Amino acid sequence: MGRRNDPRVRTRRFEEEAVDALLAGYQPLPGVNDELIDADGRPRAHWTSLLASLAEMGVDEVNRSFASADRQLYRSGVFYRVYGDPNGGERPWPLSHLPLVIDGEEWRALERGLIQRAQLLEGVLADLYGEANLVRSGALPAAVVAGSPEFLRPMVGVDPHGGSFLRIYAADLGRGPDGRWWVLSDRTQSPSGAGYALENRIAIARALPELARSLNVVRLAGYFQALRAGLTRLDRSGEGRVGLLTPGPLNETYFEHAYLARYLGFVLLEGEDLTVRDNVVYVRTVAGLKRVDVLLRRLDSDFCDPLELNPRSRLGIPGLVQAIRSGGVAVANGVGAGLVEAPAMMGFYPRLGGQVLGEDLDLPNVATWWCGQKAERERVLDTLDDLVLSPAFQRPLRGLMDTGPVIGADLDPKRRAAIETAIRTRGVDIVGQEAVQLSTMPVWRNGRLEPRPFILRIFVAATENGWKVMPGGFCRVSDSLDARAVTMQSGGRSADVWVLDGHPTDQITLLTKTGQSEIRRQTGPLPSRAADNFYWLGRYLERAETTLRLLRTLVGRLSSSAEGGEASVTKLIGLLQSWGSIPEDLARTRPARHALAALTRSDLPGALPNIIDAARQTAAVIRDRLSPDAWRTLADLVAMTQEPVPAAGSAQADAYERSDRALRALAAFSGLASENMNRLAGWRFLDLGRRIERGIATCRFARALVGESPTAGTLDVLLELCDSQITYRSRYVMVESRAPVLDLVLLDPVNPRALAFQIDAIMAHLDALPGHLGDEPPPPEERLAARLVASMKAFDAGEFDDERLRQLEGQLMELSNDVAERYFIHHSPVETPWDLMA
Amino acid sequence: MMYDIHQTTAYSYAHPVPVARHVVRMVPVERARQRVIVSHISVEPEPTEWTETRDFFGNKTLHIRIDTPHTDFKVHTRARVLVEPEPAREPEASPAWEEVREMAAASDDLTAASPAHHIYPSPAVVLSPPITDWAAQSFAAGRPMLAAAIELMHRLHDEFTYDSRATDVSTPALEAFEMRAGVCQDFAHIMIAGLRGLGLPAAYVSGFLRTEPPPGEERLQGADATHAWVMVWCGPEIGWQGLDPTNALLVSTDHVVLAVGRDYADVAPIGGVLLGSGRQKLDVAVDVIPIDMPDASAPVV
Repeated sequence: MGRRNDPRVRTRRFEEEAVDALLAGYQPLPGVNDELIDADGRPRAHWTSLLASLAEMGVDEVNRSFASADRQLYRSGVFYRVYGDPNGGERPWPLSHLPLVIDGEEWRALERGLIQRAQLLEGVLADLYGEANLVRSGALPAAVVAGSPEFLRPMVGVDPHGGSFLRIYAADLGRGPDGRWWVLSDRTQSPSGAGYALENRIAIARALPELARSLNVVRLAGYFQALRAGLTRLDRSGEGRVGLLTPGPLNETYFEHAYLARYLGFVLLEGEDLTVRDNVVYVRTVAGLKRVDVLLRRLDSDFCDPLELNPRSRLGIPGLVQAIRSGGVAVANGVGAGLVEAPAMMGFYPRLGGQVLGEDLDLPNVATWWCGQKAERERVLDTLDDLVLSPAFQRPLRGLMDTGPVIGADLDPKRRAAIETAIRTRGVDIVGQEAVQLSTMPVWRNGRLEPRPFILRIFVAATENGWKVMPGGFCRVSDSLDARAVTMQSGGRSADVWVLDGHPTDQITLLTKTGQSEIRRQTGPLPSRAADNFYWLGRYLERAETTLRLLRTLVGRLSSSAEGGEASVTKLIGLLQSWGSIPEDLARTRPARHALAALTRSDLPGALPNIIDAARQTAAVIRDRLSPDAWRTLADLVAMTQEPVPAAGSAQADAYERSDRALRALAAFSGLASENMNRLAGWRFLDLGRRIERGIATCRFARALVGESPTAGTLDVLLELCDSQITYRSRYVMVESRAPVLDLVLLDPVNPRALAFQIDAIMAHLDALPGHLGDEPPPPEERLAARLVASMKAFDAGEFDDERLRQLEGQLMELSNDVAERYFIHHSPVETPWDLMA
Repeated sequence: MMYDIHQTTAYSYAHPVPVARHVVRMVPVERARQRVIVSHISVEPEPTEWTETRDFFGNKTLHIRIDTPHTDFKVHTRARVLVEPEPAREPEASPAWEEVREMAAASDDLTAASPAHHIYPSPAVVLSPPITDWAAQSFAAGRPMLAAAIELMHRLHDEFTYDSRATDVSTPALEAFEMRAGVCQDFAHIMIAGLRGLGLPAAYVSGFLRTEPPPGEERLQGADATHAWVMVWCGPEIGWQGLDPTNALLVSTDHVVLAVGRDYADVAPIGGVLLGSGRQKLDVAVDVIPIDMPDASAPVV
């Protein structure tokens, strides 16, 4: 029997041919190591299964799968923010779809090296903020420590609560031409990227489900579980409250903060949420001050406390350092942990390994010479062309290295002379580093594989059972072919990292953990700032809806020849003008154009783009508390307001279609809120905002449209604005007349658009919110609500004249102020008095 | 020299401040050649929280929290301090400045006394090439450190005008340098920026000057408020030497040290965060009264 008849052989041939086709044209760069192809031009063993699967899928199916991964990321709302972007914009997450595959055995070596390095850095931090024996013994010059803006002197002598400075350590690694992994930089301040790594994994695992499973890719959940357990253990008050401290929505990686807070079950906090009393840290919540014992810190150390650290910080918590000092709170990573990130320190780590750990480091870091030392300085000056020059500390060197490292060989004579002078006079500020060539990995471009340089970030967490390495990582892939590590500071895409273990993977996920969790129905009191934002999100969304109803009603009236149509249009335009939605100097000739302006122009304060933008900004602050679908709906609304106005075509049709579509999107949001949100304080504040806004709008509509002698036309407009036309027609056969219309839109407690309905809902929310004590006199907002409830019962519809409506409207606005006064944080300017000198 | 020091600092606010936190550095401590016989500090209104510590540079630091609404905030300190004269120094015998730079960068001391803390830019002292170039004129190759620093101090005193209207507490050194005018804080910051630009260790000192001059001598600038000057490190043998560029003086028994740091931000007498307020008004009154040595045991006023 000949081998050529064996079907398995034929299949393998076919596969091999397909793999060969996939690899055709894949050309590693000369002198650069490639992850996929070995020195002999053959694919490395741990990549073959992935290659075979891709070959089997074929180009079209691979494209389809990758597109579905992009959609998954888009739907989850994964974005990143770009500093200095004129649009202040968020960009879609750029995923490089092919994962970096790492063989299990190689990974274990990496793990060992990283754990050893984490131990080293922890030891160095403990020493430098403690006895400083490393300095006294001469192993580390004092100036390498003192020069770092992250050597925070108020933290010297402070023992970190929980015994360690580092809870999360990350290292950026590159593989050099010699095939070894090198640490390019250390991340100890507050390493970012783990949340993005998780999102990348979810997206790719959904796009290539069988593949991820059949290759036994090690799962990430175990790492996060250990991280969470390690942090929760530091909670000494036993209230289980762990906060993730973020600088806020303007931060580049805010999405990740919100995402991790949600995933880990921690409350997302900004400095403003917190206050220190008697060296204990509290969250300001709608139910009063609640103790927080542990803060996972994503705010840079220096900004944490304006009192003892950077006095310009408006993001920190006055008194936090004193609280840490007295053991009242655990902060992870410790305040000041960024010290050991300094490039200057890297010149000393190879030697410190022996002194701190009693062993040599397995994993080398990029060779570094600190120019504060004579011999090192001479060496750097002699070999400038072979080196990369960097600021020695995390502080740019103005006029020399404004944007970070420079390549010695690329310097023009003038710049070179300036840098040489700086090295001679203030060498303490500069390090020379070996220029590292990165290895390349495959990316999928235009249906084929191409090599691209990358940097791999790996995370290590301190847990109860020692250090644990996340089995995967955050891989940044360059868009260009330049493999010099220094050119990879920004841009590029990110890729998932697959560690192949050879064992079927365990199925830990944080979401389905069973057996050991106690059941909790409450997620803890709502921080006041979150309540504030929920409330205003509710108000803005309702305001958007109101504006849209006005516009749709207006546009609908333009073509109808109904009796009194002219008067209705005038009133509607008046309402829109008073809200700042359309220009004051409206030429009455083309109202449809102006309706379109109200839908698209961002220079009008009350126009839709501004209202939606305000809603999105409030939502951004509570992103961790909104579902991805809700967030998506808002993003769609923002996109709608940005659609260009066609030059030609009917403005009227366009305006009608736009407002109709936007109303449907708003309805989708309301639906999500009513069906998917837990009936906790957040939902109550959202709905409270909506009800108050709707109540105010209803009063205004009624005042504007129902004067002393309303026409059937204006009454009909009021019914339409209050979405009550159908109800009216089913109840009354007669044409619209004043009292029945007012009864329906003001007093009918079962009409969800009626004022009475809003007031009942407001009362119910106030009753259910925390802080309501039975035996104390009711607070002002409850007394006001009770008065509103009473007026709904005390009068006939016919008795609601302009003055009474005005009074109701005023009471609703007062109620809004009372709610803010009671539950929200009061934003008054914070001042720092320190001007005392002669 | 023995002094009785009284200082009252009073803020008044346009609107009541409901909550305030302050860090107060207004009590002198023992230092080389300085003994604090007695010191006392009081604060109005009564703080709810009160913690006394030493900061990294050894300055006595009081952390307070006040949660009674107040429109007036007052800190009063008194102290009796004995200042001993600096030993006579031969400026020309100090090490070459380049050697001092090398020694500072190689220091194996991370304590507050180390020169290593004072060779880098700090929150209120940015290094600026124009200031460095100007300072460099006094630092010819091989020049002894202290002699060069004294020359720099004299140049500052001669070329700059003391003018309290020219600058305020937050004026950057470069701006005062370009105006060639300012007050003690600006002069200290400019001198520090110049020295550090050359890689040399320079620290900021806040303190007091004797208010009444000895008979027949002129009254010194800065005597009616908190004063500021500079310390330069001249190698391990000489250590730190105080230089007062405002008065072109080597610091000796006319100066009482209150706090030491890298710049004003490290030693600000009253720092803090308070809610609300609006405008604030500040009054500072300082008295530094020499006491005759035989009366050292006289009751503190």
